[in-house]
Parts: sequence; structure tokens; C-alpha cells
Amino acid sequence: MIFFDLIVGGLSIGACYALVALAMVIIYKTSEVPNFAQGEMAMISTFVAFSLIETYHVGFWTTFGLTLLFALFLGIVLELAFLRPAKDPSVLSLIVITLGAEMILYGLAGWKWGAKQNPFPVPFSEFSGITPGGVMITEINLWTFVTSLVMMVLLFVFFRFTKLGTAMKAVQQNAFAAKAMGIPTRRILTFTWGLSSVTGAVAGLLIAPLATLDPNMMLDPMLKGFASAVLGGMTSLPGAAVGGYMLGLIENFFGGYVSLEFKSVVAFGVIVLILCIKPSGLFVRHFERKV
Amino acid sequence: MGRAAYAAAFMSMVALLAICGSATGQEKVRGVTDTEIVIGQWGPQTGPAALWGSVGRATGVYFELINSEGGIHGRKIKYYLRDDAYQPAKTKAIVKEFVENIGIFAVAGGVGTSTGMAVREYLTENKVPWISPATGSSHWTKPFNKYIFSTFPQYYQEAYVQTQYAVEKMGKKKIAFFYQNDDYGKEGLDGAKKYMEDKGLKLVAEVPVEVTDTDLKSHALKLKQSEAEVVIIWVLPKHGAMILGVCKAIGYSPQFMAASTLSDPDLMFTVTKGLWKGVMYGNFVNMESPLVKKYQDAQKKWAPDEKYTGLFYLAGFYFAEPLVKGLQLAGRDLTPDTFIKAMESIRNWSDWLGYDCTFTDKDHQGVKSVYLEKCGDNGQRIKVSDWLVYKPK
Repeated sequence: MIFFDLIVGGLSIGACYALVALAMVIIYKTSEVPNFAQGEMAMISTFVAFSLIETYHVGFWTTFGLTLLFALFLGIVLELAFLRPAKDPSVLSLIVITLGAEMILYGLAGWKWGAKQNPFPVPFSEFSGITPGGVMITEINLWTFVTSLVMMVLLFVFFRFTKLGTAMKAVQQNAFAAKAMGIPTRRILTFTWGLSSVTGAVAGLLIAPLATLDPNMMLDPMLKGFASAVLGGMTSLPGAAVGGYMLGLIENFFGGYVSLEFKSVVAFGVIVLILCIKPSGLFVRHFERKV
Repeated sequence: MGRAAYAAAFMSMVALLAICGSATGQEKVRGVTDTEIVIGQWGPQTGPAALWGSVGRATGVYFELINSEGGIHGRKIKYYLRDDAYQPAKTKAIVKEFVENIGIFAVAGGVGTSTGMAVREYLTENKVPWISPATGSSHWTKPFNKYIFSTFPQYYQEAYVQTQYAVEKMGKKKIAFFYQNDDYGKEGLDGAKKYMEDKGLKLVAEVPVEVTDTDLKSHALKLKQSEAEVVIIWVLPKHGAMILGVCKAIGYSPQFMAASTLSDPDLMFTVTKGLWKGVMYGNFVNMESPLVKKYQDAQKKWAPDEKYTGLFYLAGFYFAEPLVKGLQLAGRDLTPDTFIKAMESIRNWSDWLGYDCTFTDKDHQGVKSVYLEKCGDNGQRIKVSDWLVYKPK
């Protein structure tokens, strides 16, 4: 029965990878910048949630809402403070800016909350849940599946049916034409950062109870999320999500049946393979470069 | 005229220096003056390993305590602590500053195997005694190094005695080993394997984990499949906490035994939300010593704002005690050579936070014993074994 246990494990961590991947793709699509501060942004938001619960004894669901608001604010502030002031930025210099932001946030978390591991309290059991056919699916697994799916549906609805979402898509497809149509592209870009930060924060809130909460928490999920995005296609939202789930499953099966020693590395093997065979990603129809 | 005056001034200075030199009649020793001994330490105050940065801060408090009691043979200890953020490149720069700019007599402690390895040769070349590298790697004493004295029981030795305890005292045969896939974990694994081989047994599972891994489901399933009664874990606190949770979720509850690097039950109990209860772990700091109280009082006096005062903080005292002992034994005439000779005269010393420390001119691994503790219902320590001394067949 180990097969089904591995599926549950794979989907559970895969859901987290998928959210990180989505967060990256949202920004990448508008600005072609892979945001390397994504992980630390999520980590800071999760620490804020932790402080709200532990220090101010705010209820879990209120905390959840407040944290997402904070994440939105954090994303917007980072864009305004770090990326907007860059003068005639090339993609490379923007990437370097995100790396700088990553280091600042990482240092900030260490200074504010210390380096020790913290337990992240959630109103779900990590050890009990439902057992269909003898396979344990814990409450926290269920919570992870449901939350990530809800988040994905919300993103889909947002991009499909809201005016702001449509405007964001327009900027993503052709910034110049969008500007000509009267869409405030800079403001849209700023909001993109906010939205991406919220998506990342949800990932952080899901990962913290699976692992432990400390400043290094997002180091690995961030890289895996990036790998998932490359796997599914850096420019495709559904592709990135599916890539996340796939990577979670691949890792678990590889660890379960082949080798635990190389389980962590297999993600990067997959990247190399994909870049050789289909560099635009599995779920992107054709590779198109913006002029 | 100007040039002649400079030349004269220069000549007289040279003459003065020569007189000074011959007046004291001996060579100047780096880091030692009539009133001071200069000691340095690096430690991660920031970065991924910052939790262990408390070691270096505690050492500072210990030196304050020694100084307040009158110092050592009329000299006070002057202490420099530098942050290397757990990065070997930074450790190198720090050590260069220690030797060439500040001029230190010795190094105390120093967290990290890779950081320590990066500066081992340089310190040795410059004849800097280095007391208690704060990790259990075997690289400090093998091959023998005249200037390095180790007081951290080697991971190899600790894993050996822990496995021995599980087999001989607890009567368990099925033992699995969960380890971090690097030097730290592998040295532990080797120790456990060695004992099992000596007994004609085999570990039922050897499960490696990468430092960065966030998902331990497949690891836990592998451990469960092996049906081990005892799982020995040689990982970081994060993975120690996680593997307990994941094992419990898949309905597998063996007896866990952990390395001394996880010997802070307070921290582990909190992080695991109580799961750490009943876990056994090694410890080499003698918690029953009256010194514990004394050192905790010292912390309240000199470092009242300290955030972390758990076991690793006490270890900061532990690592520095042998250095002070050596300085006391060496007497007023202090050079690296007299100091090393004094250190090598320490035999079966237990009047400190450690146990049975012996240095000889052939073996600088001073401490080879740990004892086992168990985490109680509220995260308190319960001593379960006496000192387990490493005695291979």
C-alpha cells in the first residue's frame, strides 16, 4: 500500500510547490523576471501570522485573512521600493534586485524572530484524519489540498472574469498596446507583485505546519517551486500548477522506489531534461519571445 | 638637515627597541601581555545556523565570570567574538584578522565543521592553540594535530555507544538509522554500523536525508517498512521534529534516539508540539553539576537580555572551561608550548561541566563519553543512563 501513501505525500507537498510556482509565474509573465525573493516574502508573511497567533492571540481564520492582506501590502511595497526606482532596468538587473530583496528579508526575519525552529499552530490534526482503504490522509493533508485548489480556482476566476484580471492579462500579452488602450501598466505591475505575494503567503501558511517555521523554511520549496514552473512552463498558470503536483509525485515515487539519497536532486534532473526536450515547458504550446 | 634628523630619530628608535627587547629577555608571545590574554572565537550570529551562535556569546559570559574572580595568574581574558554566518569564506577572513591584526593567543570553541576545516591549516601554521572545536567531527584529532584539543565527543563514538545501549541495555535487535547526508550524519552512521558489525548484526535500514528537504514522507515510509524497533536520528532539529510527526501520521511509533546535537528537550518539545516526549538523546554536558546554577546566574548578571539560554548556551561554557583549566596549569610563564604541555597533563578531569577528560601527547580527543536522557511529559530532562564510555572491541 506504500503506493497510495506516496501519492498522498506527493500531492500534499506538490500543492505547496504548485502555489509557489504560480506566484513566480504571475510575476514572470508580466515582467519576465523570476522573482527570487518569492520564498522569503512568503516566509515573512508566515512569521507575521505566527506572531499574530502566538503573541496577540488572534484566531486562526482572522489571522489567515490578515496575513493575506499583509502579503498584498508587502508585495506592493517591495515593488514600489525596490523595482520601480531602477532606472532603465534590464531583466538581469531586476533579477539582481530581487536577489537583494531576498537577502534583506532573510536577514530581517533572523533579526526579528531569531533562528530557532517554531511550531506553527493550526486548527487541524497532523496525525488523524480519514483512512480510505487503509491509506492515511490527515486533516492537514486535506486542508492543504482544499486550500490550494480554492486558491487556484480563485486565481482562474480573477484572471477570467474581473476587469483588473483582464487588464493584467493585457499587460502580460502586450504592455505597449495595453498602455495605448489607457491601462495604467505600472500600477498593474505593482499589483501583480501584490497578488503574487498573496499566493506565496498561502503556500507559506501551508508549508509551515508540514515542516517547522524558521527563516530557512522556504529555501527548498522556493527552488522546487521554480523547478515546477520551469517544468510546466514559465508563462502558463495552469502549467505551473500541474508542474508543482507532478514534481511532488515524481519526488515521492523516486524516494519511495528508487533512491532516497537522490530524491532532492531529481527535481533539478527533471529541469535539465525538460530544458533539453521542450525548453518552453510541458504545457506551453509554443515559445514566443516578446519583441 | 631634515633628512639627518629623521635618520637620527630612526636610529635612536631602533636602539630603543633593541634595549627593550634585551631588557625583558624573552620573545614576545602573541596575544599575551602582563595584564591580558587575548582569546578569539567565531560563531554564526546570523544565517542558517544562528541558533548555535549562542555558544560564542556564552563563552563571553564565562570569561567575564573568570575575570571577575581575579583572572588567571594576574591576567584578564580579553575576548573577541566575530560573526561568520556559518560561511567558511568569512571564517577565513576572521581568523586572519585574529592572527594578523588583533593578535590572539588561542581560539576557544568555534561552531561548524566546514567553517573550522577552512581555517584548521592556517591556525596550525601560525601555532594558535585551538580548544574545543564545537562539533563532533573526527577531523580535529585525526590525523593528530598538536594545536587542537577536542572536547566534543565524536559523532562516531557517540553513535557507537548509543547503538550499544539500544542493543545491550534495551534488548533491541532491529535498529534503523536516519541521517543527514553529509559528514555529520555519515560519521554517526559509521559508528552505528561499526558496533552492529562487531556484534554480527546489521542495521535494518539506513535512510539519508538532504539538509534542505521539506518533505519526509518517503523517508518515514521506508523506516516503517523496515519495522525497526529503534530509530536513531542524526539530523538537524528541523528534520528531527519533522520525522517524528510524519512517522506518527503513518501510524509508526518506534523508540527514537537522537544525537547530542538535538539535546535541547525544551526546544524540541515545543517545536514538535509535544511529540518529543519519550525520545532519548545523548548529552555530554553534566546537568547535575553545581556549576550549571553558577553559570546560569552569570548569564543573568552579564547577559540579562540573552534570548536563548538553553543547552547550547551552557555548551558555550563547557567548550571554554578546558581552555581556562589549561591556562591555570600553565602558570605565569605562558607560551603556546607551555600551554600545550599543561593541557596534555590533564587526566580524568571531571570537575567541570564535562566528564572524564584526558589529554595526552598522543591523543587530543579529551572527552569520549555521553549519557542518555529522555524527554519527559512536559519537556523536562530525565536521566536514563550513566556515562557511556566509548570502548571499541
